[in-house]
Amino acid sequence: MPDGGTMVIEKKSGIYLCEGCGIADAIDVDALEALATGDLKTPHCKRHAAYCSAEGVAEIAADVKNGDVNQVLIAACSPRVMTDRFNFPGAQIIRANMREQVIWSHPPGEEDTNMLAADQLRIAVAQAGQFSPPEPHAEAEVAGALLLVVGGGVTGLTAALEAAHTGAEVILVEKTDTLGGWTRKWSRLLPERPPYRDPQPNDIADLIAAVEGDKAITVMTNTLVTSTAGGPGAFDVTLTQNGKNQSQSVGAIVVATGWRPYDPSLLEGLGYGASPDVVSDIEFEEILSSGEMKRKSNGDALNTVAFIISGDSDRMPYSSGLSDRIVIKQALQLLEAVPEAMIYVMHEDLRAHGMAEEFYRQAQEAGIIFQNGVVKSVGADLTITLEDRLIGEDVPMSGFDMVVLSTGMVPNSTNVDLEPAAKGADQLVDDVNPLAALLAAAKAGDGEEKAEEAPAPDTSEEADQDGANGEAAMPGGPILNLQYRQGPHLPVLANGYADSHFICFPYETRRTGIYTCGPVRRAMSVAEARQDAQGAVLKAFQAMRAADKAVSVHPRVGDLSYPEFGLDICTKCRRCTVECPFGAIDEMEDGYPVLNPTRCRRCGTCMGACPVRTINFKNYNISMITDMIKAVDVPDEFAEKPRILVFACENDAYPALDMAGINRHQLTPYVRILPVRCLGSVSATWVSTALESGYDGIMLLGCKSGDDYQCHFVKGSAIAQERMESVGATLESMMLEKERVRTEEVSIADSARVTALLNDYADEIKAIGYNPFKGF
Amino acid sequence: MTAALPETAENRYDLGFARWVRDNVEGGDKLSLCMQCGACSGSCPIGTQMDHGPRKIIAMIRAGMKDEVLSSNTLWNCTSCYRCTVRCPRGIPVTSIIQDLAAKAVEFGYADKKENALFAKSFWWSTSAFGRTDERLVTARYYFSLGFLEGIRRGLANLKIALGMVRTGRMHLGMPHKIKDIKGLTAILARAAEIEAEEANDEL
Amino acid sequence: MSSKMKFSYYPGCSSQGSAKHLDESLRAIAPKIGIELEELDDWNCCGASVGHIGGGSLPNTALTGRNLAKAQQQGKQDVVTGCAACYLNTHAGNEKIKSDVKLRRQVNDALSAADLSYDDDLQVRHMCEVIVNDVGMDKIREQVTNPLTGLKVAGYVGCQTVRPFSSTDGGGNYDTYEDPDFLNDFTEACGAEAVDFNLKTSCCGGSVAVMSPDRTLHLIRDILQAAEDAEADVITTPCPLCQTNVEMYQDAINKKFGTKFNIPVIFYSQLMAVAFGMDPDKDAALKRNTIRARKLEKLAKK
Repeated sequence: MPDGGTMVIEKKSGIYLCEGCGIADAIDVDALEALATGDLKTPHCKRHAAYCSAEGVAEIAADVKNGDVNQVLIAACSPRVMTDRFNFPGAQIIRANMREQVIWSHPPGEEDTNMLAADQLRIAVAQAGQFSPPEPHAEAEVAGALLLVVGGGVTGLTAALEAAHTGAEVILVEKTDTLGGWTRKWSRLLPERPPYRDPQPNDIADLIAAVEGDKAITVMTNTLVTSTAGGPGAFDVTLTQNGKNQSQSVGAIVVATGWRPYDPSLLEGLGYGASPDVVSDIEFEEILSSGEMKRKSNGDALNTVAFIISGDSDRMPYSSGLSDRIVIKQALQLLEAVPEAMIYVMHEDLRAHGMAEEFYRQAQEAGIIFQNGVVKSVGADLTITLEDRLIGEDVPMSGFDMVVLSTGMVPNSTNVDLEPAAKGADQLVDDVNPLAALLAAAKAGDGEEKAEEAPAPDTSEEADQDGANGEAAMPGGPILNLQYRQGPHLPVLANGYADSHFICFPYETRRTGIYTCGPVRRAMSVAEARQDAQGAVLKAFQAMRAADKAVSVHPRVGDLSYPEFGLDICTKCRRCTVECPFGAIDEMEDGYPVLNPTRCRRCGTCMGACPVRTINFKNYNISMITDMIKAVDVPDEFAEKPRILVFACENDAYPALDMAGINRHQLTPYVRILPVRCLGSVSATWVSTALESGYDGIMLLGCKSGDDYQCHFVKGSAIAQERMESVGATLESMMLEKERVRTEEVSIADSARVTALLNDYADEIKAIGYNPFKGF
Repeated sequence: MTAALPETAENRYDLGFARWVRDNVEGGDKLSLCMQCGACSGSCPIGTQMDHGPRKIIAMIRAGMKDEVLSSNTLWNCTSCYRCTVRCPRGIPVTSIIQDLAAKAVEFGYADKKENALFAKSFWWSTSAFGRTDERLVTARYYFSLGFLEGIRRGLANLKIALGMVRTGRMHLGMPHKIKDIKGLTAILARAAEIEAEEANDEL
Repeated sequence: MSSKMKFSYYPGCSSQGSAKHLDESLRAIAPKIGIELEELDDWNCCGASVGHIGGGSLPNTALTGRNLAKAQQQGKQDVVTGCAACYLNTHAGNEKIKSDVKLRRQVNDALSAADLSYDDDLQVRHMCEVIVNDVGMDKIREQVTNPLTGLKVAGYVGCQTVRPFSSTDGGGNYDTYEDPDFLNDFTEACGAEAVDFNLKTSCCGGSVAVMSPDRTLHLIRDILQAAEDAEADVITTPCPLCQTNVEMYQDAINKKFGTKFNIPVIFYSQLMAVAFGMDPDKDAALKRNTIRARKLEKLAKK
């Protein structure tokens, strides 16, 4: 890394004041220049009509090249735009947002607007003062492009083949003795090509043959992954085949462990077990495969058959609309085999979305009858009582030869054949409660991690409510048996599915370099699983390449920085090791934290957690934000201009604020906005610094938390809310109003809402009155 | 004639009936297309006077409710306005289904005494006897088919209308209009009835 | 378009009874707009909306089969009718016989009992569709010598004239099911004013109104009320049953609902005959209306 590795001996800052996009018309650029060269002591201050023009870029590039500056402070548009133009190798780039968050969201020419512009410049200069160019972490030995794929069903087979075609060596591990998984059992598959109307032939045999014939793929059947250590680029895995262990270093891992059928006997009142002619959809598939369309009880032909799609809320998460499509498929296949058959599909909700609408129409046109209602009971004589909402009464329907119950796909997030692991049950709980880990550890009686040693506030009562007591854990043992501080499992979220940021990063688990795909992630069809495998493989390649370059994967793609631990003052409190959303930090034997840099996503949650403020990044650290907070010129209370500090998450909240400017929403002049990597990185010390500096209110703007979280770092916003609860208690003890610190969740599309939030908050703060510490 | 109705099971709801409608009623093969949106019932000019709107009738057929469907007054309230048919988003010929069910209800003795069945019979009498509809005779025969007294009552009630029609020359008082080849028509209708009966027997 | 279009004309049973004035006025205006109507020889009843109930499905279709067989003997020209029910049954029957091989065989089997057969590809058309598609409004306007200035007309289309065929290829695609324009176009071509009448395709009760008027009188009341609200002098319609129902039941409605309706209901062809300057009695048959259209009669050329 020749560029980034250049050590900066002396900081030479240059300020570049852009006058374009109406900036010079709206604010007093002369005053800014005077501020730069005066109070801010930066004599190298230049102005240009448009720094993004070729001429403007050339001017800055020349200064960098001549060695006049190595820190380029550009006061122009938002740091989110023009990043390709304002990129000067050999110099650090600091941006002051004068366009979106000043002139576009505040009235031109006003005193308040000029004060804001001046503060933006002060903040940038303060940032520059604590900003060092990041250096790559000492690289681990990288395993090269060797990919481990776990699971030999259609997803794993596809992943292996795709990876091999993309140039990786692949080890494909399957726990049984046969490849193909459940897909081998499907007589035909759901339609995946236009016109999306007919069940398709099952071509799994071709896929198996292709994998077995690929020299880049090593297939290991009867094999389990019994241990996984290390991190992306160099995972250390132990593969156990027929009792024999084999060690292997792999670059990344794709988990495609698939699913198992939902237990039909859990469908209450639907007659499963009461008659051999009540079967699950999985069992009915065997009948279709056999070609013998006969009753199980007496071998009579199947002439009148009901499929039941239950609205049972326990089943729903495992059906996900897929089971409904399977019903349509099976009904069509039955009708093809027995053209005279009367076929009913009794459903509460029928989920045939997207192209499946065509499939549904095909079934209707073929003569399959969809009857809406709630099945109240199925008798041993196959009489179905349907609460028909459209007829408005309970309708007993008899004369069926067979009743087929739609079930679902339960994810294999664990290996049910194994005994539960001794620790880590907290990762199998349906929760992103930041305290879950601590609470579960306490419940499980893990001596070393009792709550009294852990820093959690007293929440023992909440523990049961949160379900974070380990009882909701999934059965079975770990798939990969991770040798991580946080336990052996891939964390799951709702309903036992492997967790991922569902919208933005669907394949990424909370364990960097390990990617889930296929039905372990959500119920999905064969075609969807194949697509999923492709996505996960691409992510695995990214992870291997990022490890090779010592940079971060998403969302801070390419970031060289990483947290550095000042162990001299570390108290071994373990907050960082427990709270890291990605399990990146392990503990050494002596209890000190140790970073696995390739697992780290650079969110800074550890930095926000550290009570002694000894975790820092070169280009993002406690002192830097502290200086930026203090850089703002806070007027005394007689000026009647309150100041509100906003920590805005750079992933959604900060872009939403930019968008507010683009939409010309007018923002209160009292806010000063600092972007942060994640609310998880916000240190309590910044809050106290702000209060001591005379700010009247502090707002943290982060992403949605909870089990439908949008936080790009999984738990950051939840952790921040938890921490601010404690801050609230502290405020009260200082006789300060709780309202002075607030956390809000916004999405990237919330430009209007975020404006209203801040403006309302400003009104509220004015009503409360000024911070009594102002001026001390 | 149509293939025999399925025997009603002890159970009130008989799935054989849904199958029978599918196979024997005009448009019955389209029943599975219904998504129960209710555009038909909402469009029906006198749906509110029906025992069940068209949407519900389709749901009831699919649930196998033979007796309720065939004895429902829905079949006899249809004015053949075809609004349901042209509005149905799934292209189901709702009017045809209802109309043909009415014919089946007569055929299988569910509607012997229904006013409209009697009207249909009077109508067919004129059509088959003369080849044309004589509005005066059809109406009179219909009224008296309701019973002698009812015939008189209705006749009197509509006397003013009838007189108006006579005055304007729109009611014909002499011998009914007849086609020339009434013999040929009778032969055609007889043969058609025969073919239908044969077909029903074949299906048994 | 040739100067004269020849059709096999199927007047239907009502032409000899309740809708004589439709038949008379159509025959009167046809030559004026370039149409030659050659009456279908020895035509029979179409079966209307209850024939299949009284006689069964195949016999009912055989009625249409016989008419088509007669038309085939008469020549290659299309069949045209002015009656909504005749059109619906004959058009639908024709399409079914042409497309359903089995039905075609059965119908011909029945027809053979009278030495008839139908294996042609005739078209069965509605007079209004012919006027829209083949004649055109220019031709109508050309014939208007007595513009009906000042006459306010509510165009009541009814049901079966447009439903279910007016928007199909077989039905000539001449107008919409819900909000057809053609009747207003006819009215305005005649120089009268087409008022805004929002129940133009509402049902009058059809044959149910004949059988059980009590169930349907409110439908006709609504239609009359809408016409009155629109300040129409006269309601015009293409449908024989609509004309009779809406006209005949006004007394009964007034009695039942306490209204005072006395609105003339005339056929569009009567309107055209008057606008073409033809004889109000012989051609326009205005005296056949039980509620006389006095304002129209005043506009008529004596």
